[in-house]
Amino acid sequence: MEEIRQIQLYNVHKQMSKLTVFAGFEMPLWYKGITPEHLGVRNSVGIFDISHMGRIMITGADSEHFVNYVITNNVSIIPPNGAQYSVMCNKSGGIIDDFVIYRLEKEKFMMVSNATNREKDHDWLVKNVGGFNVKIEEISNDVAMFAVQGPNAEKTLQEFSTEDLNKFERFKCGYSRLANVEVFLSRTGYTGEDGFEVFVWNASVNKPDYAVKLWNTILRAGKPFGIEACGLGARDTLRLEAGMCLYGNDIDENTTPLEAALSFVVKFQKDNFIGKETLLRQKSEGIKRKRIGIRMIEQGIPRSNFEIYSEKGEKIGRLTSGTFSPLLKQGIGMGYVQTSYAQEGNSVNVRIRDKQAKAKITSFPFYDPEKYGYKRKAFS
Amino acid sequence: MVKVDGYEVSEGLYYTKDFEWVKVEGDKVRVGITDYAQKQLREIVYAELPSPGTTTKQNEPYGTVESVKAVSDLVAPISGTIEEVNAEVQSKPETLNEDPFGKGWLLIVKPSNLQAELANIMDFDKAVEWHKSLAK
Repeated sequence: MEEIRQIQLYNVHKQMSKLTVFAGFEMPLWYKGITPEHLGVRNSVGIFDISHMGRIMITGADSEHFVNYVITNNVSIIPPNGAQYSVMCNKSGGIIDDFVIYRLEKEKFMMVSNATNREKDHDWLVKNVGGFNVKIEEISNDVAMFAVQGPNAEKTLQEFSTEDLNKFERFKCGYSRLANVEVFLSRTGYTGEDGFEVFVWNASVNKPDYAVKLWNTILRAGKPFGIEACGLGARDTLRLEAGMCLYGNDIDENTTPLEAALSFVVKFQKDNFIGKETLLRQKSEGIKRKRIGIRMIEQGIPRSNFEIYSEKGEKIGRLTSGTFSPLLKQGIGMGYVQTSYAQEGNSVNVRIRDKQAKAKITSFPFYDPEKYGYKRKAFS
Repeated sequence: MVKVDGYEVSEGLYYTKDFEWVKVEGDKVRVGITDYAQKQLREIVYAELPSPGTTTKQNEPYGTVESVKAVSDLVAPISGTIEEVNAEVQSKPETLNEDPFGKGWLLIVKPSNLQAELANIMDFDKAVEWHKSLAK
């Protein structure tokens, strides 16, 4: 049994939330409850402690070339203070991890990876250094990380930021100070909403003062907006409504980014990158299965591993995530089906225990992007 | 009604270790889930219940309740034929959280072997003791 690790704010969360063990870390599962936290983020603002995530610095003269060699997206197109979603693959095109990569300086990158893959990603990067002149440094333990998400996220942080936060466009990032604490801010998130992720430097588990101070400051500033402290439960339902993958459920080393409907992060025009040959072959031959969204028409809540059937009764795939959508008040899920069935609007059946329940294949996000999410029309 | 570590236990009912209660009402019994069960599940969003006319068998699953993240089997406390199913918990599953011993009842069953089966489950006093052990 692996040792259970604590994050910087363990003692704070222990008082406020129901804890659970996730990826070896004792983490908040919920504070008030998944539904109020979820709706708090969609309608106003919520804060998540995501200090369990992995943070790896990649620096050096060859850092741009090295990153482009290991990941499938192209970091050459992002300037310093920019960020990008990507995956990295093994030689067979299987996804090692998905992450956001930040360009802090011309020759300084930060990869923010899934907590489950902290060690694996670091080892994979080190293993592939070869002749590249780069330094790879795990800094996860010295950095706390919060996500402040929702249409009132900017207003909340602006309450006590001396900088105009409006200048941070989506997927832009940079060093800043909040409540006199050194931070790195980025306009990114895992909820589908507008919002920020806040990296708190100099905040180790043994010296969490800066992180605690900032957490409390954000909660106080968000009070007029009804800010909710949110746990991993709401984080999962929010990302699923937005159609985002959870590593280990929806993607893993046995799925490729093409199958996972992530081909927008695979840049074949680039020079060599790990997995390119296999992915090119798969692209020309065509994928056999594809990641899709499922929305229940009949009663029932789809769950991970439930089987998907065609209307004629053939088994065509399997769900990899599923939940009751707190916003839409119905069952939603994602999974893989044979490519020929993967069209939006197709009717399918989900086997829920001993029953077949009607569902429809749906595009992401599940919610109406004019009403919810970062693309929503003016929010008042 | 007594509270054991914040969980209500209601007098006059029988209880199972699958977190269900039974209330004898003449020649029928009413069945539901306990306060402890609803508090563990939280935010119940869906209840799948059998149809009237079908049968239940003591200790065997007859339906499910689901929260946002979790699925739990409902396990029958008593064998018999289902006479009525509470439509309100199907349309408003949160009733199970709000009033588990009252409006949140699940089934009315015509029992087939009531006296023998009641001996297999806990009366109020035993249920209070059991809730104390759960709290530890």
